[in-house]
Amino acid sequence: MVLGLICRGLSRKTVASSVLSGEHHHAVTLSPWIASVMTLKTSAPLRGEPKKKKKVDPRRELLMRERLKKKLKRMEKIPPEYIPIEDFVTPFKCLDDTRVRSSPRLSFEESEGRAMLLKEWSQYKQKQHLAEVQAVELALEAQREALEELKLESEELYLAALKPDPLLFPFSHKGPVYTPPKTKYDAPEGKYNDITKVYTQ
Amino acid sequence: MAAPCGGAVGRPLCQFLSCLSRTAVRYTWRRQFSATSLCRTTLQTQRVTEREGSPWTLMAAVCLQRLPVISADCHPVEQRFRELTRQMELEKSLFSDHELRLLEDAERMNRKQTGSYDSDEEDDNRGQDIVLAQDLEDSWEQKLKKFQPAPRVKADVDEDLTSVERCLADSLVLLAEQQVGSEKLWLLPQAEWQEGDTLRQTAERALASLPAAGFSATFLSNAPCGVYKYKLPKAARTDSLVGTKVFFFKAVLSAMSPSAASNAPLMWLKKSEMQRFVKPAYTMKVERFILDP
Repeated sequence: MVLGLICRGLSRKTVASSVLSGEHHHAVTLSPWIASVMTLKTSAPLRGEPKKKKKVDPRRELLMRERLKKKLKRMEKIPPEYIPIEDFVTPFKCLDDTRVRSSPRLSFEESEGRAMLLKEWSQYKQKQHLAEVQAVELALEAQREALEELKLESEELYLAALKPDPLLFPFSHKGPVYTPPKTKYDAPEGKYNDITKVYTQ
Repeated sequence: MAAPCGGAVGRPLCQFLSCLSRTAVRYTWRRQFSATSLCRTTLQTQRVTEREGSPWTLMAAVCLQRLPVISADCHPVEQRFRELTRQMELEKSLFSDHELRLLEDAERMNRKQTGSYDSDEEDDNRGQDIVLAQDLEDSWEQKLKKFQPAPRVKADVDEDLTSVERCLADSLVLLAEQQVGSEKLWLLPQAEWQEGDTLRQTAERALASLPAAGFSATFLSNAPCGVYKYKLPKAARTDSLVGTKVFFFKAVLSAMSPSAASNAPLMWLKKSEMQRFVKPAYTMKVERFILDP
């Protein structure tokens, strides 16, 4: 069995060699350039060319990814820049000398009058504040009394009263304005361009 | 000062009946709830045992406030101070762009009028001759005059005590005329407490049961803000009933539907006007927690 296989392998080789030699003989008779072309068609490297791309491109992609990751790490290491607070930076317009107003000189009576008004105002505000504090204390006292009476009545209702109300917040109420709202008033539509600077870190 | 309570005659009979029946629910002179589940009966027995010894009726009332819509007029000191601060701020400020433009235009007008002025000497002819800053100001004033804001004070609406839009600068409290005992009194809308309710729910019920309901109110807390207790006249008192305790709850009016009936016995009063209509002892207790902003 083994001998037969070897013989067959040998015979194939001989056939191949004879074919090659035969071709070679034919090629030599035509021209020297066509010979190389003919051999190229059947050579091993040409047949394997598409396989080369599969090996190189994954490597290139991996290298790209690594470079990007390194860049990201470097960027993360730098501490982020602070967003500038626009209100704390005096704009250049305000430092202009042409804008300085000439301060008027106040007469003695006028400055005295101003000082007196400021004192009256502080007294008025103090009275207002004391009245507010007293009113709040009175209201708190009323509530404390109410809760005491409720406790005397029924413990259960007292405990129910002490529970906080989760549905109350968020509570919003629009405060007083100068003129009351007009019924059936169409406010004119205004178009505006928002030029606020938005910073990202 | 005691105000009479309703149903004083029927009470002794009910007391007699209640003594006879040995059921768990003994509150016959209040509305009876049929106890279906066992735990409900046990809860009610607990409540009953808590409230057994108490001779007071419980009621909850709602103090509904309409907060001010416009700012109040300034006190004379406030007005003078406001003028003074405006003046001082103006003196300490810098010129704005508009003011600089005004000054430049005025200067240019002066130079033109002197005669020895050549307009070609002007470095920048950006068409500023066409629109002066003063003209802009005039056009703005014209626009302002075209707009008519709603009047702050309407005298006829202020005198109508039932209207909710009176006295927009003050906060108003809702009062209702209710039957208490044999009298009809003006007081904050109240309702009697029932089993199974918290006092706040009773107050909400009091607000909803008003004839001209249409108020959307936000109740501010579960706890009462004040209490008023009164004893019944000696003739109506029994061993187990001495008087009533009324607990007040604060609420803020958020919106009002316009379908309110105008002939309903309701009034919106300022704190200072309450004394005219409400009994003095009641006013004393109620005034404490109504804060006048």
